[in-house]
Amino acid sequence: MRTSRFARKHRVANTIPTVSMGDIAFLLLIFFMATTIFRLEPGLQVVLPRAETTEDPGRERIARIWIDREGRISINERFVSTSEVEGIIKSSLLEQPGTVVALNADDRAPYGVVADVIEELKDASAALLSFTSDREEPTIERRPTP
Amino acid sequence: MSDLAFLLLVFFVVTTTFAVEEGIPLALSGRTQATTRVDVRDVLEIRALADGSVETDGKKITVSEVRPLVEQRLANNSDLIVLLATHRNAEYGLMIDLLDEVKLANCRRISLKTVE
Repeated sequence: MRTSRFARKHRVANTIPTVSMGDIAFLLLIFFMATTIFRLEPGLQVVLPRAETTEDPGRERIARIWIDREGRISINERFVSTSEVEGIIKSSLLEQPGTVVALNADDRAPYGVVADVIEELKDASAALLSFTSDREEPTIERRPTP
Repeated sequence: MSDLAFLLLVFFVVTTTFAVEEGIPLALSGRTQATTRVDVRDVLEIRALADGSVETDGKKITVSEVRPLVEQRLANNSDLIVLLATHRNAEYGLMIDLLDEVKLANCRRISLKTVE
């Protein structure tokens, strides 16, 4: 039998080497573990109200205002009075126009304080406000009204 | 080993949820805007009282009755404006419940007001 002129001299293994697969997987695992930053929410302890019509504010820049059950207002981990809100929000709007103001108020906060803050936001010419709420599934019963 | 690593990787990728803060959006009217006059017939005033009760046109209603009421009024008058008047001592959560109901009724013209 004559050997062909085009006979293959070397055979190349037709398998993909998977030895380094584990290295790649661990590399990815370590990369994601190292780059994940857990964001702690600085602010007051609030129980957010629940609502069905919530939307994602969809902005990079959000200024957060916290109002707790007692009606205390906090911005940037500092207690502030109602009259200080305008100045703080105004300066953050100057820094980054189009900032959404997220109002993280407690479910049981007195509305009077919230109303005062909204008035301050109007003075600061903040245009977009978001009442931060937990998403509620449509089946959950409403609070009973007396 | 790589199976295990990928298993962990897939597990964490699947179970990780990003904390998205959602909220009810509201566009505020600035101070510079002149007050607009509206027809009284277009306004439906819903009052949230300090004791947690809800009132409209002088009669008490429950929070769950707000949505059908607004839907019905909206069907008769597409220019309807809901004026949400909340007492200063009322709970914020009650106002959010009402705002949510009004939004669920597809009313887009909402005005907030505070009553003493």
